[in-house]
Amino acid sequence: MLLSNINLGQYVPTGSVIHKLDPRAKLFSLLLIISAIFPAKNFFQIAFWAAALITLVRVSKISWEVLFRAARPIIFLVAFTFIFNLISVYTTGDILTSLYRAVFTSIRLIILMMFAIMLPLTTTPLELADGLDTLLRPLKKIGFPAQECSMMIGMALRFIPLLMQEADKIMKAQLSRGAKLDQGNLFQRIMSFFPVLIPLFIIIFRRADEIAIAMEARGYDGGEGRTRRKPLAWTLNDTKAIIFSVFAAAIFFVV
Amino acid sequence: MNVNKKKKNRSNTPFLGVRSVSFSYDYDEKFTGRALDSVSFFVNKSERVAILGHNGSGKSTLVKILGGLLEPDEGECLIDGVNMRSMEFRDLRDKIGMVFQDPENQIVAAMVEDDVAFAPENQGLPSKEIQARVDNAIQKVNMAYKQASSVEALSGGEKQRVALAGALAAKVECLILDEATAMLDPKGRLDIEKALRELHKDGMTIIQVTHQIEAENFDDIERIIVLSRGKIIWEGSVNDFWERAEVLGFELPDEFKIKKFFDKKGIDLTQPLAVAWPALSERNTPPPSSKLKLKFKIENLSFRYDEKNYALKNLDAEIFSGRWLSIIGRTGSGKSTLVQHLNALYKIQDGNIFFDGQELPQKGREVYELRQKVGLVFQHPEDQLFSPTVKEELAFAPKNAGFKNSELNDAVLYGLECVGLDKKFLERNPLALSGGERRLVAIASVLAARPECVVLDEPLAGLDASYQKKILSMLGKLRDNGKTIITITHDLNTALNYSDEILILRGGEKIKEGVPGDVIEELMNILEPEAWPDVLRMSNEIRKINKNFPLLYNYGDFIKCFSQI
Repeated sequence: MLLSNINLGQYVPTGSVIHKLDPRAKLFSLLLIISAIFPAKNFFQIAFWAAALITLVRVSKISWEVLFRAARPIIFLVAFTFIFNLISVYTTGDILTSLYRAVFTSIRLIILMMFAIMLPLTTTPLELADGLDTLLRPLKKIGFPAQECSMMIGMALRFIPLLMQEADKIMKAQLSRGAKLDQGNLFQRIMSFFPVLIPLFIIIFRRADEIAIAMEARGYDGGEGRTRRKPLAWTLNDTKAIIFSVFAAAIFFVV
Repeated sequence: MNVNKKKKNRSNTPFLGVRSVSFSYDYDEKFTGRALDSVSFFVNKSERVAILGHNGSGKSTLVKILGGLLEPDEGECLIDGVNMRSMEFRDLRDKIGMVFQDPENQIVAAMVEDDVAFAPENQGLPSKEIQARVDNAIQKVNMAYKQASSVEALSGGEKQRVALAGALAAKVECLILDEATAMLDPKGRLDIEKALRELHKDGMTIIQVTHQIEAENFDDIERIIVLSRGKIIWEGSVNDFWERAEVLGFELPDEFKIKKFFDKKGIDLTQPLAVAWPALSERNTPPPSSKLKLKFKIENLSFRYDEKNYALKNLDAEIFSGRWLSIIGRTGSGKSTLVQHLNALYKIQDGNIFFDGQELPQKGREVYELRQKVGLVFQHPEDQLFSPTVKEELAFAPKNAGFKNSELNDAVLYGLECVGLDKKFLERNPLALSGGERRLVAIASVLAARPECVVLDEPLAGLDASYQKKILSMLGKLRDNGKTIITITHDLNTALNYSDEILILRGGEKIKEGVPGDVIEELMNILEPEAWPDVLRMSNEIRKINKNFPLLYNYGDFIKCFSQI
């Protein structure tokens, strides 16, 4: 009913080829694909990327149901984009162009986000952290905390579902005490969320504290000198994935 | 032979311990004094020690100091004769492994193997060695069957065993467990205990910190240390502890009391006893139906989260006014989904619920009125407090229900009185209270709106025996004053001995509903013997030799049976 069914891209093991790809290859491909979808201008290009997405989902053996459930939170973003485009273009032109623009931009956004969501669905948080770590390593020279940052992202992905559950429980508990979370004017609505937000922050801090202690107890001190059980290993498939993404993106940059 | 050799090695050389250690939290000293006050003790190599203490005794602080995660204000913490303060972080972490209460807060990776590998990865070992250690650690906690599984797919007990493997993978010499079984079901506890026994046999030094005492888990422990208000008040062997337990403020398990009673009476249970067993337990017969008034009538209720998975399936149930109903079932049996229908948090998908003969409202203002009449207390309700004072917290629900001025004031005082807290609590900050007090405030905050029916999800979870008793007697009193009480519990002992009716669920379906005496055999069928109350387990044993012996779950009834001998 509330937040319990939202799955913000939790890893779904299916053992597919996509799952086995090197996280660096996946990150890099995603970056390329996103930068190619952004400038897409016509429905032909969109159709191409939609086909690519369908193929990707097939190969990864992720069910559409899971993907759609993971993508549910972006509905708001899409709706906002749709309305914003509708209004902003309408003020300068006619209704048909604005409707076309709104629909087109929304579909483009959906496809783009779906590609992005496929990454955490097929990559464990730790792999993702490892991949980011190596990709960001060059930035270490200019003082960027690459290791800490990638561990942070990995941990966030691991704990977001848990915190969603907590938020859901607190909301239900306050509703049970008669809280009216969806009534009144904007100010009242914002105020009515304090009974949810305050306990949630307390829980987040307490969890963060306990997790940090548990990590320290297992010898983690910033990740310096850490080795890997399964070191990232580049395979032929990874090279193929990169080459495919480069080609696909290049077509659209050129055409 | 190997074991014998190890046993001999268990010399009295102190391995890990503290010498006159004191510690206080800055914010705490004014109210409760020091968390630890010049505590000294040592654990020998390969020894298994239990540190017992109630909530607030300072045991969690002691655990962190022993584990080298917190530096004491005074005194020193030594391992192998070396002060921890002078040790390298890595060297220390190679020696001591820790397991904490909540498995969710210890598991860092999404896959079992990845998580167990975390410590050896931090040690900077080569991949092959890491994999070998992961395999070994997973095998030691009997989790090989889930080695390639994702953490999310595991039960609570399995997750905690992964956490244990995660500590073992660092090849530590000593394990410290802080309430590591407190959040687990009986089966989960037993599995952890089994793994610990094996580890101890192989020479691992184990320190367990807990507030629960269980007879069956204690016979492997060599020494018990009792902590109270930051001081060690007793130290000795397990046998000596049982003699002193009640004086030290611990309740003896029924099983232990019964064994003692039999020893004293000289009753031999392996022989049939030539006695006519009296028929006992009035709880075996329900009151005449003319005296019962329906509060909830649930008809054919089904609920599903998605196409395939039913959380509830064709459920029929009757909940009577002024009675106490316990809902029992394993995780995922639909208990929580069912009770969240009762105050319209979940909308009815299929079927019907009648409240006082009326259809349960599903939307609009009537839902808010319903939520005032049916108070729902979630699991760990103390996590939902948000107000700066207890008074404001208690006023939240009645205010939402439209109480004003003196009515509101009365409601706050009523809530406080129900849970038996003093008026001086009104001005205190809920966050500064102890865990047990916070739980009482949270329950009071629901009771303040004067609901006719109170639903509580695991109200006793994680509490000391004294607070458990307080809550149970409070619920009994509310029931006697005409309120309908519904509790979700996995604790059969409280369900059988305190509630009037029991509803058993499995996989979203009703197995049986009735008075405790009527449902006992179904309960024994769906729950493993470890989850049965001690008295029930023992009377079941006696029945194997004495066919007519009744199935009992109440200590008093049980003892009465033997009074004529």
